[in-house]
Amino acid sequence: MSVQNTAQDEHFRAGKALGLDHLKLGMWLFVGSEVMFFGGLIAAFLHYKVNTPSPVETALLDVTLVGINTFILLTSSFTVVLGLARAQNDDRAGLMRFLGLTALLGTVFLAGQVYEFVALYQEGVTLSSSVFGSSFFTLTGFHGLHVLIGVGWALATLAKAVRGGYSRDDHIGVEIFGLYWHFVDIVWIVLFTIIYLI
Amino acid sequence: MRERTIFTLVVLSLVLVIIGYLVATQVDLSGLMPEQAATSSVLVDKLFNFLMGVAVVIFLLVEGALIYAVIRFRRRAGDETEGPAIHGNNTLEIVWTLVPAIIVIVISIYSYRVLTQIERPVDSPLVVRVIGQQFIWSFEYPESGVTSSSLHLPVDRPVQFQIEAKDVIHSFWVPEFRLKRDATPGQIDELTITPTQLGRYPIRCAELCGAGHAAMVGEVVVETHEQFDAWIAAGGRDAVEGGLADDDGDTSVAPDGRSVFVEFGCGACHLLSDGGGAGIVGPALDGISNIAASRVDGLGAEEYLYASITDPNSYVVEGFAEGVMPLIYTELMTPEQIDALVEYMLTQ
Amino acid sequence: MSVETPTASKPIEWRRYFRWNTDHKVIGIQYLVTTFFFFMVGGALAMLIRTELAQPGQDLLNGVEYNRFLTNHGSVMIFLWIIPVLAGLGNYLIPLMIGARDMAFPNLNALSFWLIPPAGVLMIASFFVGAAESGWTAYVPLSVTAPMGQTVWAVSVVLLGFSSIFGAINFVTTVLTMRAEGMGFWDLPLFVWGMLATALMVLLATPVLTAGLVLIAMDRLAGTLFFAVAAGGNPIFWQNVFWFYSHPAVYIMILPAMGVISEVFPVFSRKPIFGYKAIAISSMAISVLGLTVWAHHMFTSGMNPALRIPFMITSMIIAVPTGIKIFSWLATMWEGKLRFNTPMLFALGFISLFLIGGITGIFLASIPVDLHVHDTYFVVAHLHFVLFGGSVSAVYAALYYWFPKITGRQYDERLGATHFWLNFLGTNLSYLPLFVAGLLGMPRRVADYAPEFAIYNQLATLGAFLLGISTLPFLYNVIISWIKGPKAGDNPWEALTLEWQTSSPPPEHNFETAPVLSRWPYDFGEKVSPADASEASASAGD
Repeated sequence: MSVQNTAQDEHFRAGKALGLDHLKLGMWLFVGSEVMFFGGLIAAFLHYKVNTPSPVETALLDVTLVGINTFILLTSSFTVVLGLARAQNDDRAGLMRFLGLTALLGTVFLAGQVYEFVALYQEGVTLSSSVFGSSFFTLTGFHGLHVLIGVGWALATLAKAVRGGYSRDDHIGVEIFGLYWHFVDIVWIVLFTIIYLI
Repeated sequence: MRERTIFTLVVLSLVLVIIGYLVATQVDLSGLMPEQAATSSVLVDKLFNFLMGVAVVIFLLVEGALIYAVIRFRRRAGDETEGPAIHGNNTLEIVWTLVPAIIVIVISIYSYRVLTQIERPVDSPLVVRVIGQQFIWSFEYPESGVTSSSLHLPVDRPVQFQIEAKDVIHSFWVPEFRLKRDATPGQIDELTITPTQLGRYPIRCAELCGAGHAAMVGEVVVETHEQFDAWIAAGGRDAVEGGLADDDGDTSVAPDGRSVFVEFGCGACHLLSDGGGAGIVGPALDGISNIAASRVDGLGAEEYLYASITDPNSYVVEGFAEGVMPLIYTELMTPEQIDALVEYMLTQ
Repeated sequence: MSVETPTASKPIEWRRYFRWNTDHKVIGIQYLVTTFFFFMVGGALAMLIRTELAQPGQDLLNGVEYNRFLTNHGSVMIFLWIIPVLAGLGNYLIPLMIGARDMAFPNLNALSFWLIPPAGVLMIASFFVGAAESGWTAYVPLSVTAPMGQTVWAVSVVLLGFSSIFGAINFVTTVLTMRAEGMGFWDLPLFVWGMLATALMVLLATPVLTAGLVLIAMDRLAGTLFFAVAAGGNPIFWQNVFWFYSHPAVYIMILPAMGVISEVFPVFSRKPIFGYKAIAISSMAISVLGLTVWAHHMFTSGMNPALRIPFMITSMIIAVPTGIKIFSWLATMWEGKLRFNTPMLFALGFISLFLIGGITGIFLASIPVDLHVHDTYFVVAHLHFVLFGGSVSAVYAALYYWFPKITGRQYDERLGATHFWLNFLGTNLSYLPLFVAGLLGMPRRVADYAPEFAIYNQLATLGAFLLGISTLPFLYNVIISWIKGPKAGDNPWEALTLEWQTSSPPPEHNFETAPVLSRWPYDFGEKVSPADASEASASAGD
């Protein structure tokens, strides 16, 4: 039969047993490429932060407001986990409750971000005021866009649950959404750290 | 049989190594490179020859094996059998992993050594600022305050170029010196070269910089210290076309407008059949004498042309952007040259 | 696994090739045909460029037109031909080679394809609004001030990036989760290994280019200052981002090609592939190392001088896994029974031409030599030997090799050989003289050049037209053979990979019954015991 069937090959041959669903693996790969996309934007932000610092504009950032916002987004990650646990227990009402809460928290985060952007624009920090403004709004803006897509996705998942979707045996859709939502959260923790804390 | 194979292999490797050695050290490859006009040229060429030696060996080895296999192992008509079921050979695979690894490490070390020799710091170099802009090179000598569109260098004296760009990225390259360095807006890059050969060599822009990229060619003149000092003393005016200070001090020769047009690379941006200009960045100049006369009310052709060269933004032609044409021609050209150029334009 | 007579004898519904279709075989053909169209567009641009360069002086194209043509020649060839045509091969072949019914995400797969036509139309249509003219490298600040077409170009490249990323997600997921029973990683055909390594690079590198293009687009449209030098913007940053993608892109364009070559050699040498694991591992090594070499494109850019050294060393080391592959292919031929069908000719051509591209890569990696030849025709010659001599030769080898599988018919060998020789000679004639022109001092991307370079350019122009002509026997061969070529049978090459163990063309679900791997894909050779060979060769032999 096939060649070189040695012991060390055995676990390679077990490759099929990665234990991962198509969708979950696909989502992980997509998240991986998203990490690289944000990596590019983060590199731009850090590059300009180091080489062309804007201390005045940086000082205008409202760390308290964004800190609260960060807490809100982190909470929403928690609610997704709770929602998934409800789905696994066949508790559709609980799932719907937590998905709704997740979408709501995401929306509050976005509202906070809009408020922050407007305040900064009034202070004169804009996309074209400096390379800091350019890289700040581009980076946080693209993250905001991802949150917005996530809110839409949460609502779509909610709508499917309302129509009777998801059960103990079929909750992969919630899991996939959860993966995406956690990713968006983790990216935000990185952004919060490099933009507001250091 | 096996001993014979090993013997053949040893002989073949020896022959290949000898060929490689001959290519690297004995064969004259100077036809593949421009003249050696700087210390760096000699160093780079030596490394290049070494790499050619390695390359020829690898090429002969692979192509030789390929052609041998094609002839020797081709299927004979009617032969439906298969080859032997050989899956690999650890010794062989280790050899062809390790040997190339050693070769590239040797090349890396040699390259590194050549690099440090090329970039070795020098004492009291002649400093020249190199400024690239669409589509002309200009050169400033901070010691003497001279600015010129051609680069003059004294032979055998190290020069430190401080390279910058005003608009987009250009790349300063003299093939005879073997070195290039990008001229990037917003930063100054340094490059040290010691020219060793008297002569005139082209400076070519090596980074795509726009429509006139191909025409962004300057000239470096490597001359004796006396000639160089005289050139600096004359304010960096070109002794030949400029007509200002010939070698014998005769300043009476009037500059020729067409030569000025060619020397300053006007044709990179402007179409002018007579002057060999093919550019389209700026307005076409064929028939300019008639156009100039009527372009601006109350302004004669001569005044208009003069203003357009010395202060290009004063009357920008419709359809062309302000600020594209460099503002440096009053610095680069003598008044006589500008006059000659205007006169030449009036004949077109 | 048994092979039955095809049930797919119902008439081919040609309209499905123009519609949203989720069958990977339909999508594969859509990819191959669409990208070949763009190959001809890129080729036409190349011949216009070569005509301009046939003699010194600017006759045909002015500087702006020339720059637009060269920019779109490069962009079309890379983003609309080589990268997607290899993805197209992967699409058609991967499910068949691993014994799957389709890709893991059929709809995503169709989306990957359907992003290509609009992106291609955008890129070509950009000529109407002032096409991109800053080279496929789009160096800032030149590309920030370029006309409107540059934005259209960026949008097109981002779309094609999404197409690549979605394709890569599909390839990896399919290979990891949908292999036939009994197929471990060490049973994967080497083409699949190549696509796997490529997909990983696509996933890691392409999004970075997307991020960079976002920055350029923001500068052009939203007034950001990323590359506005006066405000502190930095042109070098773009170069880092661009090459972080675009050097791996070279391996994205060559690893699947090497995979094709690894399929062709054992079949036409009637021997097992030599050093299977070494070839598979070297693909993965190239894909990892390939992410660490990008700054060798920036040796002249005034980057941090100390950082050049590690980048030189990583670039050099890539020669090692590349060498392993070439030596393994030569050893595969050794003592074999070589059959010189057209795929084999192109595979041999691949080695000869890619070898020249690879060796000159060493010259470019050596910093002092690079300081001379960077941005000259030496680089142009090098990259065309790699991408045209290498990747395109392999694509041709693949198209001939799998033609009977895709169409069920056999192409004409004589026309194939004619095509090969025209292509081989044309490649050498086009690009060998350009090495000399570059060494002697001719910069790249110039619409005009000094008279001393005329002879090299004349030869190259002749070669370019020869290459143009060489596609004619290919097109004629493909079209005529597809319509009325002789029936090929299911396995005309007596190959062992799974795609040959089903009918040609394969039925809608690829295999009539779920295939079980019964034989290693390169199990050729005289020492095979009859029991092992029974099934596969029984079906292949008739």
